[in-house]
Amino acid sequence: MADYFQEMGWRELEDGEQPNHLLHMARFLIDFGHYDDYLTGEWPRLPPAASKEAVKNLQEIVIQTENKECPICLKKFQVNEKAKEMPCHHLFHEKCIITWLNQTNSCPFCRYELPTDDEEYEAFKKQKLRAEQRKEDIETLHNSMFS
Amino acid sequence: MANIAAKRIKREFKEVMNSEEVAGGYIKLALVNDSWTELQGTIVGPPDTPYEGGTFQLEIKVPETYPFNPPKIRFVTKIWHPNVSSVTGAICLDILKDQWAAALTLRTVLLSIQALLSAAEAGDPQDAVVAKQYRESQQLFLLTARHWTNVYAGGPSAIWEFDQKVQRLLDMGIDEHEARVALSHYDWELERATEQLFS
Ligand SMILES: [Zn+2]
Ligand SMILES: [Zn+2]
Repeated sequence: MADYFQEMGWRELEDGEQPNHLLHMARFLIDFGHYDDYLTGEWPRLPPAASKEAVKNLQEIVIQTENKECPICLKKFQVNEKAKEMPCHHLFHEKCIITWLNQTNSCPFCRYELPTDDEEYEAFKKQKLRAEQRKEDIETLHNSMFS
Repeated sequence: MANIAAKRIKREFKEVMNSEEVAGGYIKLALVNDSWTELQGTIVGPPDTPYEGGTFQLEIKVPETYPFNPPKIRFVTKIWHPNVSSVTGAICLDILKDQWAAALTLRTVLLSIQALLSAAEAGDPQDAVVAKQYRESQQLFLLTARHWTNVYAGGPSAIWEFDQKVQRLLDMGIDEHEARVALSHYDWELERATEQLFS
């Protein structure tokens, strides 16, 4: 079983590494319920780039049918042309999707999110998920008590 | 302008021109210069809103990095709406900022702005004064928005009482738009608006 520290994405500092005070402060505030906006709200800016790993692992496919277009440059794919496929199955030119994913981590068509290399953003996502689960748990409990 | 931006805008232009919304007269898109960096958008005010019957012009600037960054869009036609600056026409809409996605197009953006006229986001205002009126005196807000639509966007319903008040300030030598802004800001109380204008 993953321990709490692992689950939270915490690890020991490397030699000479400074703690990220902002990140720790955010975690503290969230855990003590003082940071509702951060917790319930949206990430306040464009989410960070997709992780190098995720970009590298995108599937390459060969276009089989006509009339599909790349949602970024809007150019029609040619049959037998190569394209990159996101896990949500949306297809793009390699150059188009990599330019986009180097900027932010989601599918430009459906917003399916790839992992990032940004510690702060990943912590935010985990917290948000936990908050949603907690809310669901409370609702389930409430319903079982009052129905 | 970067090649991909210009090529994409050209493809989009065709898409918009062939769309149902252009055929139905709900939105329009026109070129301003040959470089494809600036366009003029037009939307009509949605039915059952104080913007109904009005035609609103938008300035669209396409950055070099389009579609990786959003187009810069503002209202040229003056409008009274919580998410649009009554001074600059700047629009507060998430997809024009951090919720932009490269697959959005000028067509979908224009439709989103039109949808914003039907459903304001009072929690995320661009114009604090308008937003306050929107929350606290809904009726006055609707009348003010309809009045602005009538005066600036060719909307059909004139608000006689408001026109009279603007005229009173005009008679005192105040600029018409300044007068309208002051009155709109002070919930159409002539005295407070006058005070502010002469302070
Ligand atoms: Zn492409
Ligand atoms: Zn997708």
